[in-house]
Amino acid sequence: MTARTGRATAAGARAGAPAAAQESLQGHYAGFASRFAAYVVDAGASTVVFMLILAAISFAVSVVTGQSINWNRNDTWASIAYLAWLFIYFAYSWAASGKTFGMALLGVRVVRSDGADAGARRAVVRTLALPLSFLVFGLGFVGILLGRRRRALHDVIAGTVVIYSWDARAARLRFLSRAS
Amino acid sequence: MDPLGRLRSVGDRLAPPAEALAQRVAERVADLVVSALDVNALLDRVDVDAVLDRIDVDRLLDRVDVDCLLARVDLDPILARVDLDELLAQTDLGAVVARSSGGVASNALDVVRSQTVGLDEFIARWVGRLRRRPYTGPPGPPGPPDEPRAVARS
Repeated sequence: MTARTGRATAAGARAGAPAAAQESLQGHYAGFASRFAAYVVDAGASTVVFMLILAAISFAVSVVTGQSINWNRNDTWASIAYLAWLFIYFAYSWAASGKTFGMALLGVRVVRSDGADAGARRAVVRTLALPLSFLVFGLGFVGILLGRRRRALHDVIAGTVVIYSWDARAARLRFLSRAS
Repeated sequence: MDPLGRLRSVGDRLAPPAEALAQRVAERVADLVVSALDVNALLDRVDVDAVLDRIDVDRLLDRVDVDCLLARVDLDPILARVDLDELLAQTDLGAVVARSSGGVASNALDVVRSQTVGLDEFIARWVGRLRRRPYTGPPGPPGPPDEPRAVARS
């Protein structure tokens, strides 16, 4: 099936049509662009939500005590709270559904190497190992480009892979049904 | 008395029963013929494709003057019979708007995902070219994501 999919995709790419339009890629290892775009969305979304939480806390404190809190970027507690929030955001999302908000938007999902759900333990390990991939100019991400299974360093450590959870063929049919 | 007149009056008297008799005979004959006919067998012998081939639809449509047809339709009385207030009251405009905007959002999402997958393929092809390894499509799959403990294929 893999070879057939590959041929179909390559033929589609040659014909100028989007690869996804040719055949469903659901379950195949996700590529660099999808994963990077999902990460950018997650970074933005998690930061915005964190700032909203801080604003809500500031408002609540000012209402209760009459004093305002000034959050500083160099504030150690704010940094620790931000890191804790990022940990909760990623670990909970991967443990609960295998995908964060950004991954859901881009149609990718984290699963175990054998295709089963990632589970809580792997989600936590993956979240803790994620910063390691950023070390040494992001060398941990090279595996997505060069590896056979498109795994980053934190994927290898946690025993996970990222796959397309999006059925391109169904999307194509939806698009055609709307067009007709 | 005029013999021709008598003959005519006899003819007038005999005409209705004769017509009724002829009608009954015709109906009976028609029933017999229809019951004796195997319509399915008859239809099987008809080559519908050949019949359709002989119909020149373009020519047929050319002969239809749509403008003339529409000119004969008086829309005003039809529209006058439509109770717009009742129609709007029965229409769940919120659901229509939600469905429409949902479709737009879903469509936009499909486009974004399609483009990103296309970019994935583009990058993978270039990496394959730099490594002098032919790219044969996205690798995988590791197994059905919803089946626990699926065996990896690669």
